[in-house]
Amino acid sequence: MSSPILWIALPFTVGTFILLFINEKYATWIGGTLCALLSLTAFFIPIDTALLLGTLSIKIAPAVQFFGRSFELNTADGALLTIIYGVATLWFFGAQVSGTATRFVSLGLMIISLLTASLAVEPFLYAALLLEVAAMLVIPLLLPTTQKANQGVARFLIYQTLAMPFILFSGWLLAGVEASPTNIGSTTLSGTMLSIGFAFLFSVFPFYNWIPSLMEENSPYASGFLLWALPTFTTIFALGFLDRYTWLRTSPQLINALQFTGVFMVASGGIFASLQKHIGRIFAYATIAETGLILLAFSIQNIDIVILTISILLVRGIELPTWALALSILKQNSNSLKFSDLQGFFRKFPIATISLIIVHLSMLGFPLLAGFPTRLAIWQLMANISPTLLIWLFMGAMGLLIAAVRTLAVFVMTDEESNWKLNEGWVQITMLGLGVSGLFILGLLPQALNPLLKHLPALFERLSQ
Amino acid sequence: MLILISCLSFFISALVLVVLRIFQPEARYTWLVAVSGATVGLLSVFFWLGYLPFELSVQNWQSFTSNSLLFTGDAISFPFALCIAALTLSILLTAVTQPVYINTTLWAGVLALAGVGILAVTANNPLTLLLVWALLDLTELIIHLSSVSGAKNNEKVVISFSTRAFGIGLLLWASLVGVTETNNFIFESISAHSGLILVLAVGLRLGVLPLHLPYATDLNLRRGIGTALRLISSASSLILLGRIPTGILDINTSIFLITLTLIAAGYGSWMWFRSPDDLTGRPYWIISIASLAIISTLSGNPQGAITWGCALILVGGALFLTTVQNNWLNRAMLFGAWSISTFPFSLTASAWLGNLGLFLPFVIIAQAFTAAGFIRHTLRPSGRDTLDAQLGWMKVAYAAGIILLIFIQILLGLIGWEGTMQIRTWLQALSASLLTLGLVWARRRFRIFNPVRAHGVSANNARLESFYNILWSLYHLLSRISKGVTQILEGEGGLMWSLLFLILFISIIST
Repeated sequence: MSSPILWIALPFTVGTFILLFINEKYATWIGGTLCALLSLTAFFIPIDTALLLGTLSIKIAPAVQFFGRSFELNTADGALLTIIYGVATLWFFGAQVSGTATRFVSLGLMIISLLTASLAVEPFLYAALLLEVAAMLVIPLLLPTTQKANQGVARFLIYQTLAMPFILFSGWLLAGVEASPTNIGSTTLSGTMLSIGFAFLFSVFPFYNWIPSLMEENSPYASGFLLWALPTFTTIFALGFLDRYTWLRTSPQLINALQFTGVFMVASGGIFASLQKHIGRIFAYATIAETGLILLAFSIQNIDIVILTISILLVRGIELPTWALALSILKQNSNSLKFSDLQGFFRKFPIATISLIIVHLSMLGFPLLAGFPTRLAIWQLMANISPTLLIWLFMGAMGLLIAAVRTLAVFVMTDEESNWKLNEGWVQITMLGLGVSGLFILGLLPQALNPLLKHLPALFERLSQ
Repeated sequence: MLILISCLSFFISALVLVVLRIFQPEARYTWLVAVSGATVGLLSVFFWLGYLPFELSVQNWQSFTSNSLLFTGDAISFPFALCIAALTLSILLTAVTQPVYINTTLWAGVLALAGVGILAVTANNPLTLLLVWALLDLTELIIHLSSVSGAKNNEKVVISFSTRAFGIGLLLWASLVGVTETNNFIFESISAHSGLILVLAVGLRLGVLPLHLPYATDLNLRRGIGTALRLISSASSLILLGRIPTGILDINTSIFLITLTLIAAGYGSWMWFRSPDDLTGRPYWIISIASLAIISTLSGNPQGAITWGCALILVGGALFLTTVQNNWLNRAMLFGAWSISTFPFSLTASAWLGNLGLFLPFVIIAQAFTAAGFIRHTLRPSGRDTLDAQLGWMKVAYAAGIILLIFIQILLGLIGWEGTMQIRTWLQALSASLLTLGLVWARRRFRIFNPVRAHGVSANNARLESFYNILWSLYHLLSRISKGVTQILEGEGGLMWSLLFLILFISIIST
């Protein structure tokens, strides 16, 4: 058994099998259980290390060759696989509410396996192609077979596709830069191409306009999954670039650009969120602000860059499924996710509404919740770099706070003396409860993540030195 | 360790009550369990006296920064912790006369709040205080949302939460400003600039800066847990004033803030003096005493904030917990007027040790109105049952609850903190007391001092709304601009706009 077969081929095959043969009722359980098992395996069984069980010796080989390309998942990847498949477990167990569980779980498994393949492939530039294939698989996940592509979906595909030529072209140029690092012309050109490619992939301003449209027009659960999966793997892909090219991570121009873009996304995401009247769009702007935070983490010249970035991704992996699940429950029971249609929902769906508010507070960095420790670290580091940047970061957080307060005000707004009802199902309550408990635990005891995070620096050795 | 013992005694008692509620809902000894837990908690806080100062810290709270959690038992936190523990026991003792005294869930809530309150007042760095404030605010939000009804009341709860959350933001901001200036995330090293932001944070949470009513006057939670919520949450904010290092703030650096705070103090004390009953006036009591605490800090005397904070809990607590009529107890409660008189050897003897300059007369007027209001509400007999109608043990328990708070006032006035027995400000105390007596005398003789009707109390708040309307208009303007930008970027031509930005981006980088 080799690790790429276990964490790439197996979920892809199971995903195809579910799509063709399994009905909705069992799809959630099969997908969720498989991801949970893969996550636990990655945590407990080290890759490329012989494990003795009595007289039986088990060893997971790290690499496999496929059409001349190598797929490698080493010991250092174990923690990352644990996180990815652990978060995927949350998504798949919660998929019951998405309304299209079979397609969600099957396509979701295929997307996760393709994205995992993007981490494993050598030469690593092929990752860009795998990301593109995963982006294309997202389309049937978002749209029922009978529905035409709407504006948000079309723009998503356009921007993701536009990223590919820039990344591949920059990769070709980077080979030349490695050969002659003093050639400033090709260095600048490759840096520019790479930045533009990642600008599309990360959906930085103004390329993020598809995200609010997507959240408004499509299933919040499927859209939420997309907003978790692609940025997560893009972030790891980008960390790979920073780790590989010394000139890139030490370039003052790149650091300035990352800081400027990150701060702009945090501030604009927060401010735009505060002005929305649709809670799906608020979710979209909150994710945009968080992507800005990831870019800011990239700009930090600190040995903890890897741990900080992955911590943000891990917390995001709890926040987004919980928020998307709450949105889905509300959408299934109202005409739309507009404020006007959600008045008084606090008494009808208390668990979903309070979970939504708590996740929202976590994403703005409210103390006691999981989003706070990572944001505090970034705020402290930014305070040392530039107080002006800090002001803009705070404006973003305040914008998100206003959005949270407005949403809460809408939920509790009712003239009638309506009675309390618990309209959520037990699976929904369990999943929401798990998500919210996770946010409180990680907010109060962030060091609980240490067992997962301590091995991550080995994954990007040069970045962590 | 002592902090843990005190907090755990409250938390474990609360947990036992919850378990009893679930498994033995008919149990008749739940009140005894609650009172025993609170008594152990109070006694454990008394034990602190022998070991002050001491610390409880959680190192390396985070793996990628050097932040740690720090709780300290010291001369600042001890009086607050003692007040909170005493208030909790007093709430439970006086609960015997209330019709809902079988409600164990409320008692569990009071005990849990006391535990969190002690954590808040012992928090000795911004990070720890941020976490405890957040815990208190979320708890309060959930308690209120689950207990109030009607759109207006719900809206008040949300507004209250949002102002307190913005207060958390200000504390965070002040701490980060401190990081830029001194590279430290602790109270000891904050600058005057950060100190002013901290005062603003406290003012915002307590409704003083800018002046607003953070708590509705007509929420369901009145006595008992309502008093615990209001007073413990106020103490958790006021403790921050005590943590501001002495000497970094003075009257010259904070004239504008003192002026605003004086307006709040004047408004709060006037409304308190004229409010129809103590519970309706409770938000104004908090505003007026909190304003006096903030003025003490801004005048360069952070210790004054501790004295006013203790007065807020002990003097206010005794008044708000009084539900039955007894002449002897009413007379005993008048000791509270002495406690807030700032006379030597009183609880607030060290309140005005800072330099108030020309603001002194106005501060004395606000203080006098607050004290006169307290005397008026204490002596108001109407609308209460008599204690004589209660059972014997209930009379004893109830009286013990009220007397406990009075006893702690005397005790803290003598041994609460360094420099309690001050005689330096006797002239201010005398002036304020004479004015207080004058106001008490004039109360029935001049129509202007007559109490306003209950519904009139909130009507005055409308005057503040014009300020918020301006903010609302600004918000709508921003909303229209945002809609325009969104329509451009998400409309049919959005893709072209994005590509235009891309070309601009490339051209900027290439040059």
